[in-house]
Formats: sequence, C-alpha cells, structure tokens
Amino acid sequence: MLGFLRSTILSKIVMAVSGAALVGFLIAHLTGNLLVFAGPEKINAYGQGLRDLGPLLWVLRIGLLVAVALHIISSIFLADKNRTARPVSYSKKKSIQSTIASRTMLFSGITILTFVAYHLLHYTYGIVQPEFYHGEYMLHDGRTVHDIYSMMIHGFTNPFITVSYVLAVTFVCMHLNHAIASAFQTLGFNHPKYNAKIKMFGVGLSAILWVGYLSIPAGIMAGVVKLIEGAH
Amino acid sequence: MKLLLKIWRQQNSETEGKIVDYMLDDVSPDMSFLEMLDVLNEKLIHKGEEPVAFDHDCREGICGACSLMINGVPHGPEKATTTCQLHMRKFTDGQEIVIEPWRAAPFPVIKDLVVDRGSFDRIIQKGGFISASTGSAQDGNTILVSKIDADASMDAAACIGCGACVAACKNGSASLFVAAKLSHLGLLPQGQPERSTRVLAMVMQMDEEGFGSCTNTYDCEAACPKGISVKNIARMNRDYLKASLFGV
Repeated sequence: MLGFLRSTILSKIVMAVSGAALVGFLIAHLTGNLLVFAGPEKINAYGQGLRDLGPLLWVLRIGLLVAVALHIISSIFLADKNRTARPVSYSKKKSIQSTIASRTMLFSGITILTFVAYHLLHYTYGIVQPEFYHGEYMLHDGRTVHDIYSMMIHGFTNPFITVSYVLAVTFVCMHLNHAIASAFQTLGFNHPKYNAKIKMFGVGLSAILWVGYLSIPAGIMAGVVKLIEGAH
Repeated sequence: MKLLLKIWRQQNSETEGKIVDYMLDDVSPDMSFLEMLDVLNEKLIHKGEEPVAFDHDCREGICGACSLMINGVPHGPEKATTTCQLHMRKFTDGQEIVIEPWRAAPFPVIKDLVVDRGSFDRIIQKGGFISASTGSAQDGNTILVSKIDADASMDAAACIGCGACVAACKNGSASLFVAAKLSHLGLLPQGQPERSTRVLAMVMQMDEEGFGSCTNTYDCEAACPKGISVKNIARMNRDYLKASLFGV
C-alpha cells in the first residue's frame, strides 16, 4: 500500500491529493462553524446533526484520518530524501524567486499538526477547559444537545487559546498559499493560459479561509457573538 | 577593480574543504568571470601555490561545463547567463564574492569547485535518447511536426545539463533537468514509442541517484542559464502518472 514511497513523484501526487481532501475539510469545517454567528440554536443543531450521521460520520472521519496519515507519511519520506540530497550546505545561498511560504512548508506543517492535536484535545475530547465541555443546550424541538456555542465563546475569551488559534490559522493559510497552486503543478496541470488564475485561486482561497476562521474569535471578542443569559 | 574572493578549496573528494580568502587587484570589468579566475590562477602559480580547479570548456555559454555558485546564486547574478558569459562589470569595485561548488549528494566534489556530474549521465543512459534502426537518413518532411511542438521541444532541448537547477533547489532536486530531457524527446513523433518507459526509467534513476524531490519553489527556473520553464516538470509529472496508472 505504501509502494508509492518508492517514487518522489508518486509521493508528491499522494501529497497533493490528500492535501486537496484536507482543504475540502477546512472549507466544510469553516462553513459549519460560521453558524456560530446565527446563534446557539443553529450551531448546536448543526453539531447534533453531525452526530446523527452515525456511521456516515465515521466514514468521513476515517477518510479524513487516512488523508492526514498519507499527507504526513509522504512528507516524512520526502523531507528525509530532500535533506540527504544536500549533505553539505552552502556558506552563502540566496533564494531567487521562491516564496517564504514555499520554503517553509515543513515548518508550517508541523506547527499546524501540533495545533490540530491541541484543538482536538480542546473541543473533541474536552481535556483543555473541561469545565466548559459538558454544557447542554435545549433545542426548540425539545432535544437536549451538546452546547458547542458556549464552549466556543469560553474558548475564545481565553487569551492563550485565542492567540494560539490566530497563529495556527495564519500558518494554515501560509501553507495553503503555496500548497494549492503547487498541487496543480504536481498533478501535471500547468498551462500559460490558466497559471495566473490558478495562483489567484490559491492565494484567494487561503485568504478567504484566513478571514473566515479569524472572524469567529473576532466576533466573540467584539461581542457580536455572546453568551445568552440563562442558557448554559 | 579590486575584489575579495572567498573560494571553496578542497584537495580531493576525501579531504575536508574550507573557504579561503584571496585579494585580487587590477580586474578589468571587461573580463569574463572565468577570465578573472584565470588571472587569479596565474598569480597563484607564480607564487608557487596550487591554482583553483574549476570546470570550463567552450566559454561560449553552450556546453554546460561551467558551474559555480557565485554569491549564493548558480552562475551568478545575471539572469539566463552561464558563468563563462558573466562579466566582471556586473560586480562593483571592492565587492566580496563567495564562490562555491554545486552542493548535492549526487554531485560529489572532486577538487575545489569541480563536482562530478556523472549522475546526470546515468539518468540520460536510462532513456534520454530514441532507439532508431540504423541505415540511411529518412527523407526530409516525411514526419511532420507541428510548429507548436517543435518550439516547445526546442525550448526544452536548450538544456545544457550544467546542474544549476540542482544547485539552486533547496531540496537538491534534478526535476528540471530530467523534465527538460523528457519534454525534448517526448514532444516529437520520434520520441513517442518510448515515451512511457523513458519517463519511468529516468525518474527512477533520478530517485536512485539521491536527488531530492520537487516542492515547486521554482528557484530552478530562475537559476537556469537557458531559461527552461517549470511547465516541463508538470509535463513530466503528467507523463509519469499516466505511465504508472495505465502501464507502458
């Protein structure tokens, strides 16, 4: 199954395809969580809706885990290959036209992975801020569900959590700034007519994701999104 | 012109090397970079010291023998220019110039600034050719080639195999070199029968030689003295994927 690791090009293709799946997740994750602006009813019902998917949710989760695993495995293989390709470094080396984002993919990737682990410990496993993890919310239809809304507000009123989130999102978007256009090239798509558009798509999508993800803590800090009196 | 040269000196592949400083006076701005090194070597020989070894051959910018990492850029600061075609007027009086060999595991240093680029030859041996029956030459114009393909193939064929792409790449990847050779042959009708086997064999050899992978930073394209485009790398990826999925 890991036969693709024999070839740098196949590893890069696995990297590009698994990366595309992760970008898809980022878009879906943001779209769902922006419901925080629609109030507790909407986002809590959305969270419950995801749980109600049952086996389908597990299919999505396993798909996501496979994408993450493939992305990491190929990056380890390629990073090792790239490091051994230059055992003696230059005493003076200039980059000519490469971007900082393109040269720091491994660093941004590791930073993102570290944050994702922390983010899961926080919102999925309730180990960070356990005091806010077990909140319940009663939907209009009478069902009592997990209160995601208040959990997000409690999270983003903590300065450490907010700062680490802002940094991580910035790294994600820096990573994508190179990754999206790069994936097209890796998959063999390079055409003078479309190259500028592909680059714009990559930069544009990462910028939209950056604004979208940061709008959540911004909305909470600005008081646009706030705790509802009486509900917890 | 007066220059402070910081040059990598290494006795042979077994010994450790180091940067050695040389002051050079009376450099004419009209000298080529290699002529400037010739002047330095004359002085070193006169003093009874070992001259600096560096690769060169045609000194016309077409053979691919010259190399040199000049102030951190392969073939120096002038775009789309080989070291032999670089002139000292591109530098300023009193400037410090760091001169190092190409750095990559598949390009071991032989002496001073000379590296062994035999890894490129071994990649070519795996498929950088077309197999043709011998005999008299084919009549002209019996195989038609579109102008678009002919131009794209010629652009790729401009690769002189100097290794600047590997030297510039942060991963020491030879993707641009291999891609140029593949496009050069793969775009022409004569190159079609072996197109799939060629890409698989040459890429496998590239990986075995220990070159890094392409992370699409495109410093290779900027460093290439022949201006070879990274679109050739996309074509290589496409051909490689096709050959891997659908067989040869």
